[in-house]
Amino acid sequence: MITAEQKPIQEIRDMISPYKKILVLGCNSCVAECAAGGEKETAMLASALRMAAKMNEEDVLIEEKAIERQCVKDFVILLDDIIDQYDAVLSLGCGAGVQAVGDMFYEVPVIPALNTEFLGETKEQGLWLENCLGCGDCMLYYFGGICPLARCSKQLLNGPCGGSMEGRCEVDPDMPCAWQMIIDRLSRFGALERLEQVYPPKDWSKKQGVGPRRIQREDQQR
Amino acid sequence: MTGEYRPTVALFYCQNIPQSSEDHRRVLEKKYGQSMRLFPIPCSGRLEPIHLLRALEEFAEAAYVVTCPEGACRYLEGNRRAMKRVQRTQDIISSIGLEKERVGIIIESSEAPEPLGQLAERLLERALKLAPSPVLKGAMTTKEHPSP
Repeated sequence: MITAEQKPIQEIRDMISPYKKILVLGCNSCVAECAAGGEKETAMLASALRMAAKMNEEDVLIEEKAIERQCVKDFVILLDDIIDQYDAVLSLGCGAGVQAVGDMFYEVPVIPALNTEFLGETKEQGLWLENCLGCGDCMLYYFGGICPLARCSKQLLNGPCGGSMEGRCEVDPDMPCAWQMIIDRLSRFGALERLEQVYPPKDWSKKQGVGPRRIQREDQQR
Repeated sequence: MTGEYRPTVALFYCQNIPQSSEDHRRVLEKKYGQSMRLFPIPCSGRLEPIHLLRALEEFAEAAYVVTCPEGACRYLEGNRRAMKRVQRTQDIISSIGLEKERVGIIIESSEAPEPLGQLAERLLERALKLAPSPVLKGAMTTKEHPSP
């Protein structure tokens, strides 16, 4: 899923300051899972902004709503009946959600309330880890299901480096060494020979080398 | 300061603390009227920051949570969660310039738990030390759209 964190309140207040009627818009998908932009967080942010406005005697209307996905047109269209009531939307969606809402309602400024972070895994309650860079050319098979690009501090495709100690990373000893995990996992599968190959530098052209990426599937289209 | 000023306190409390039955609640409501708004919860772990924020936004000078003693939660870790949520709420209100003392948590002692009525009195006195809330000085329209 896509992870995100809320921006500082003051930054948000500065961005919404030109507007008088603001819809605080949550997204109940990825950013709800990472407790940044779901219904609860939307209600909390809207409440805090209303309180801040009252304390500063600002005459603004701040209302809230959450939709299932801000990045899918079929859900964004549900705002059609109410969007005209507002000068601006403060979105708690990821960057894709902010832009999707803006594309659909071109005349309305859509302001990001979150900083979108990474493709993550919910490791445990309250802990999200970056495990995938979305490189466009998955190599997890070769590395025992552990991505060295996302999880090795040095992004080594031919590791480990000399700094791995007792299974910990020298860059951050709190972090497990990705290469230790790769070797342990491949050993378990009896597939260590996959590491006998020397992997060439990553071909990043499949990530962003050709500009913005798109996926087009005719079988999914109308 | 304390002459005519009567702060309103929102008091969320775990129903497993002493003298917190419905009968006790009614007695306290009668005694304090609008100054004390009581919210019994089956476990303090049910509390969310939004409950405290809404209370501060809409009517309360201060919002407090009373939990059962540490290690004595019937649902194991409800009171520990409540502590974290109160801390989070304090961070949020501090970030908008509101004193964090407007939100607080009281963890009952396992040796000598205080009855709800006694706690209510103490918390009302605590709230009297706060200035009137700058949030409540003006009214503003708020509403929430139902999710589609």
